[in-house]
Amino acid sequence: MTRHHRIAISRRRFVQATGALAAGLAMPAIGRAQGAPLQLGILTPLTGAGGFDGPRMLKAMKAVIDEVNAAGGLIGRKVDLVIEDDQTNPEAAVRAARKLIDVSKVPVIMGTWASAVTSAVAPLCWESKTFLTTVSGADSITLLPHQGYLIRTQPNNHLQAGKHAEFIAASGAKRVFIMSIQAPFAQPTQRRASEVLKQKGSEMVGGLIYEKEKTTYRSEVDQALKTKPDLVYLNGYAPDVTVILRDLYRAGYAGPRFAQSYAVTGKVLDALPPEVTAGVITVQPSADIDSPAFGLAAKRTGIAEPDSYETQATDWASLVSLGIAKAKEATGTGLRDNVRKISQGSGTKVYSAVEGLKLLAEGKEINYEGASGPCDFTDIGDIIDCKFRYNKIENGKPVFLKIA
Amino acid sequence: MENYVIAMAVSAGIYALMALGLNVIWGLAGMINLGAVGFFAIGAYITALATLKLGFPIWAGTILGTIGAALVGGGVALLTGRLRGDYLAIVTLGLAETIRVISSNMIWLTNGTDGLSGIPGPLRGSLSPTQFNLLYLGVVAAIVAVAYLLSERLAQAPFGRVLRAIRDDEQVAAVAGKHVMGFKVRAFAIGAAALGLAGALYAHYTSYIAPDIFVPLLTLYIKLALLAGGLGNNRGALIGAFVVVFFLESTRFVIPYVPGLSAVQGAALREFLIALLLLVLLRYNPAGLVPERLPRIAPS
Repeated sequence: MTRHHRIAISRRRFVQATGALAAGLAMPAIGRAQGAPLQLGILTPLTGAGGFDGPRMLKAMKAVIDEVNAAGGLIGRKVDLVIEDDQTNPEAAVRAARKLIDVSKVPVIMGTWASAVTSAVAPLCWESKTFLTTVSGADSITLLPHQGYLIRTQPNNHLQAGKHAEFIAASGAKRVFIMSIQAPFAQPTQRRASEVLKQKGSEMVGGLIYEKEKTTYRSEVDQALKTKPDLVYLNGYAPDVTVILRDLYRAGYAGPRFAQSYAVTGKVLDALPPEVTAGVITVQPSADIDSPAFGLAAKRTGIAEPDSYETQATDWASLVSLGIAKAKEATGTGLRDNVRKISQGSGTKVYSAVEGLKLLAEGKEINYEGASGPCDFTDIGDIIDCKFRYNKIENGKPVFLKIA
Repeated sequence: MENYVIAMAVSAGIYALMALGLNVIWGLAGMINLGAVGFFAIGAYITALATLKLGFPIWAGTILGTIGAALVGGGVALLTGRLRGDYLAIVTLGLAETIRVISSNMIWLTNGTDGLSGIPGPLRGSLSPTQFNLLYLGVVAAIVAVAYLLSERLAQAPFGRVLRAIRDDEQVAAVAGKHVMGFKVRAFAIGAAALGLAGALYAHYTSYIAPDIFVPLLTLYIKLALLAGGLGNNRGALIGAFVVVFFLESTRFVIPYVPGLSAVQGAALREFLIALLLLVLLRYNPAGLVPERLPRIAPS
């Protein structure tokens, strides 16, 4: 006979427990009072595929906000960051964004990373007049009807692919093969790169799109090598590029390989033997490393050479701080209407939020020059120009080639 | 705050509809369907494409999505009629993944991993976000209520009894003269219809769908909702869906009060906490919060 031992969660106890938790949920509203901290939202991947970049972006934003707080905060208020994890999943991200918008009532959400997450969250933002800053690269994002409530500091595919192809052609490669992960950027990148390569006298001898999360890409590698390329462009993410680099090495290919630096991270270099990664060229959007903003970001975060995501996150926190100060109010609409007034134009060039805040307080016009680039935006929220940094991997370490 | 609670209630309502659908397939007929999210995706894509590309009204797209999911569901049941238990689970899991991979690659139709944005919602744009959420909550609540009543009717009707008989012993049901395959196909189609309808409701609610949304995690949430609520019981399906959304969301508010955690640790702890809550719930309620009550057979 089975002992029927139900520590009964009776209906009453369930209702009581639910009520207690619901009261807990309501607490932040009670704590809100005049002069309370100004809350800014961060929605970035802390778990899932973006779990490597999200925390670093978060750290960079925190560093800027700490500085702003130390200098007296914004519009007379201390700044608090409300952080939610988007789980690199659009469905979870939408729920998290609702919380930020409706419960925390943030004027801005900073930090979406995956393109699908940004596309899912963006409608919530513009409908609720909340500003959104992102690194997602898919061209379609800035084409959404966002009414100005969105900026992205990441160069779009068109800009990136064109610049990459210019570099590849200038490096002397004549026959280029491109392997892309199945992602929104795959086709536009292939198309644009092929176009520019042709203009510059090189040729795209072939391209393929592969599935993510495979344990081997041997057949894809064979397909690529059949075309006898003198450069293979790996347009994917770290997990798959790791496997492809290994498979290319095993297949005996030692020619130049070209990849985004987010796909050849320190982790990847640690995971693969140095001979497998030797000669890989990595590219990333870059600030002019001579830019004072870059040096300041490095000092602030304690990272010798902040990467593209860390610098972009630095720039969001700075742009948002300056936008709020310029608008003299912390609203999404205020940010939308003022972000270009502090990021471009003929004002005094400033390289950090604190520096800009000081000038704004004196009633001066400013032009923020960021750590990730000049931070000048088109009407639809794309950056106008961006520099790229090229590294070559030697002995498992990236060695600086050039910035162009 | 209100808007957030309303939006989460809509999410829970959509989860509840999925749980009701899965309950017919899994709870009543005993067919383990790990591909629930696949039918959800079919409903979402059909209505998104019908309204965006063919200019159908929202209600018509939703009905088409529901029918589409039901047809695929029936087809899957026909193909897999002889598979049971784990084998059926593997096939349905594979089906859902196949649908996701197709939606990622059939770029001309589905726009690939970019997803489809701008899917119309009823009166979206002419209402404030809160009004829209409220309206949608009304629609979802009404649909869930109807689905619940229909499911209850179905569970108590002779049809439901046959499904339970098939679940408990297929051979006995066959010996009793029941056309097992026919019942399985119909049960699968009915359940898939509810899943597809939920997908359509989701698409019109959030205005954006992409393959990344239709990952197995969502199937697991719905499975957990059923297990937490009580498998085989429609009331359990409803309660379970709300419990899962409540766990997912309430943990968000608890974590900031845990001292000394970085944001990353907090995010990990939150997922751990959700798992723990479900484990505790099932430890003390192995048959779910509202266990299935089988109708007594009156002594003759």
